[in-house]
Amino acid sequence: MIAGHFGLAAGVKAREQAVPLWALMLATQWLDVIFVPLFLAKIETIEVIGGGAAGYGNGIIHADYTHSLFGAIVLSGLFGLLGGLRWGRRAAGILGAVAFSHWILDLVVHRHDLPIWPAAAPGAVRVGLGLWRWPLAAAAAELALVLWGGITYLRAAVAVARANDPTKIRRARMAGATVIGAGLLTLALGLAGM
Amino acid sequence: MSFFLGLLLFVVVAGVMDAKLPWPRARPERPVLPRAEPPR
Repeated sequence: MIAGHFGLAAGVKAREQAVPLWALMLATQWLDVIFVPLFLAKIETIEVIGGGAAGYGNGIIHADYTHSLFGAIVLSGLFGLLGGLRWGRRAAGILGAVAFSHWILDLVVHRHDLPIWPAAAPGAVRVGLGLWRWPLAAAAAELALVLWGGITYLRAAVAVARANDPTKIRRARMAGATVIGAGLLTLALGLAGM
Repeated sequence: MSFFLGLLLFVVVAGVMDAKLPWPRARPERPVLPRAEPPR
């Protein structure tokens, strides 16, 4: 899941308006951002089911550090702490929660590959509700998150511009359209296995 | 690819557009210090 995480962050921005959108967007993908260098170093890996080409949701992810429950809590806390230094205690809580929401959403779609502890031993408890086994349902859930987040963000941006600086209403509409368009494009690429 | 494109579009493009909107600004809480007594 990529687009769904972004959709959730956009929806949070509509409610927690003082936290910058870019920070929320980075927070929502924070675990995957840390995953990338570990993946390149082959410390964390993705196993394609059936051994064929990678497609939407057909991977088992071996990401015991970034995507274990403990690792997610630590990384989310770290992100919240950094955000708190810049934007205060409330933003710290929001950013930490958004970063951790990544693990919660992954829990819904992943196939039983999320460990509780980092470097889990073989046979250790792994969790994942496995919505990816039904790609259409997983895609529909992601689409719902993208549309909910994008439309909620668009409405909030226009309302804020109307209230505080009506000359920026057009800019707010463009920002909202960008969020919705980016979400749909990201989802389409994900569905195409890219 | 969708991950990196998503980061580019959401964090950079949408982030820059969003920063130009008149949202309320978050500020770190600063301790309120007592006023110094004026010299007598």
